[in-house]
Amino acid sequence: MNALQRIGVIVWYEWKRALAKKSLIALLILAVSFEVFPFMILSGSSFSFMGTNIRETMWLTGVLAGQSLFVQLIAMQIAGSSMSEEYEQGTADVLLSKPITRGQYLIGKFLGGILLLSFVEVITTVTALVLSYGIFGTQRDIQFVPVMFVAIIYSILVFYSLTFMFSEFLRRSNLAMFAGFGVFMVSQIAGIFSAFSTGQLYGGMAQLLPTWSATAFPVSLAADLNVSSGSFFVSALTLVVPGDTRLAAAIIAVYTLIFFLLAYVRFAKSDVTKKTA
Amino acid sequence: MDDLASEPVIMVSNLTKLYGDFTALDSVSFGVGKGWVYGYLGPNGAGKTTTIRIILGLLKPNGGEVQIAGINPSNDPVRALQIVGYAPELPTLQTFFTGEQLLDLMGKIYGLSMQERTASTKKLLDLVGLQDWGDKKIGKYSKGMIQRLSVATALVSDPLVLIMDEPTIGMDPEATAHFRNLFAELGKEGKTVFISSHLLDEVQRICTHVGMINKGRILFDGPISQVIDAFTQEWIVEAELEKVTEDIVSALKGLDFVENVNVDGNKLAIKLKEKKDLRGEISSEIFKHKGTLLGLNLHKATLEDAYLRALRGGGE
Repeated sequence: MNALQRIGVIVWYEWKRALAKKSLIALLILAVSFEVFPFMILSGSSFSFMGTNIRETMWLTGVLAGQSLFVQLIAMQIAGSSMSEEYEQGTADVLLSKPITRGQYLIGKFLGGILLLSFVEVITTVTALVLSYGIFGTQRDIQFVPVMFVAIIYSILVFYSLTFMFSEFLRRSNLAMFAGFGVFMVSQIAGIFSAFSTGQLYGGMAQLLPTWSATAFPVSLAADLNVSSGSFFVSALTLVVPGDTRLAAAIIAVYTLIFFLLAYVRFAKSDVTKKTA
Repeated sequence: MDDLASEPVIMVSNLTKLYGDFTALDSVSFGVGKGWVYGYLGPNGAGKTTTIRIILGLLKPNGGEVQIAGINPSNDPVRALQIVGYAPELPTLQTFFTGEQLLDLMGKIYGLSMQERTASTKKLLDLVGLQDWGDKKIGKYSKGMIQRLSVATALVSDPLVLIMDEPTIGMDPEATAHFRNLFAELGKEGKTVFISSHLLDEVQRICTHVGMINKGRILFDGPISQVIDAFTQEWIVEAELEKVTEDIVSALKGLDFVENVNVDGNKLAIKLKEKKDLRGEISSEIFKHKGTLLGLNLHKATLEDAYLRALRGGGE
């Protein structure tokens, strides 16, 4: 069995482990509900003023709305428990006493979580498409759905890898999730503050915040590709989170790499602790 | 050490492990040869589990080295652990899997084909007495069943080296006897079995070699008979008489092979200088002096005697 096959086994294991958790299912239901609710409101007669442009691009609004909060939360939920729950439950020994390197285990865990996130994103994307077609009629630019899907998964990597790192460092799932969410909230607030401040310094600093790249990348990519140019959500977010697609992509890559490497160094150098919860 | 030690399968050299100021292991060294059933003894907190976890690469030592078949598991866990099966003390298994799924997962990690995994899963569930529970979630298993399944996971790849940390804890007497025989059989098949246990009787029955650790230091290590000899100095014959007389006691004390005689009512504890069964000679001497014997037992030294003596700092 080669290294890739071992990683594959851990990916499969992580997938099975995460799906067995009720809290994840609850968050997924919440994320879908979060998408359904605004669609239902916007479909009411009081919003009949919505122009054709807006109505025909509601799929993108649904997809990006989910990405901006709930999918991030689910990412933090998956990543926060990925490493730490194995220590808490004492199951880390079962796998790490087998012929597998720590690197293979860590990569398998990381990729397994991303695979699961992709599954979550498939559900929220399909929900957005079904709702927008069902409520607002024919949608346009749906050929960009796969591109936007990949862009969203990529943008989620910042907080996913940050919380994954916390999961290994803190070895407590709740603490890791709180830490990840704390950084998310602080960064979000600082970003909003920067958006309303004048001066280049604030603008530059805002772009280094983890939330900027995570939010700006898919929005800015949608704007670059001229996807649903009439989408009010894209237009609104482009105003609030102005930015450059390549810069956002690069910042996401750097953050992800740093957080993953820190998690790896910590994992490779430290003991596998026994049951902690 | 005998000739098998020239090619140890598990080699532990000067292993040291610190937790802050606490020294969990202090230059621990021993070797386990091919085909040995090695009992690793020690009181709670002595360092047994720490040693095992370092052997498996789960803990990083502060000093020293471990080799399994010449490979350091910390540097190359894939090659080193490919030949090892491990059952931890009070195992926690993934409760969302069924027994069959967990064994299948273990088989995948060891690189077994689907056919091999299917065959191995069925065989092992039968072996550990869980044939009716294979398709049930582990969350529904009792502690004893989890322990059995844990032993099964250790055997998935038919490993050359088995490392068991208190493997029979939580098992009922029937299962304990079954697994005790199984481990002894595996040793006879040429597998190396390393067992950490508190059950001295169990260790004496199935192990060929023992090592004892206390406060992070190895107190003794070697073939079980040598260890008992080294840490116990005498055999005792216990005699019960209808009536004990001065004459009988003096006569027994006068025998060359008797070191001492203690009298307790109508019972005598005759401490021998040699480790031989000399009950015939003793009974003859008692009869010669008109004594009536009600009972005569030889109390040989056991591993427990050696263990307790070693803990108190005795021995050679």
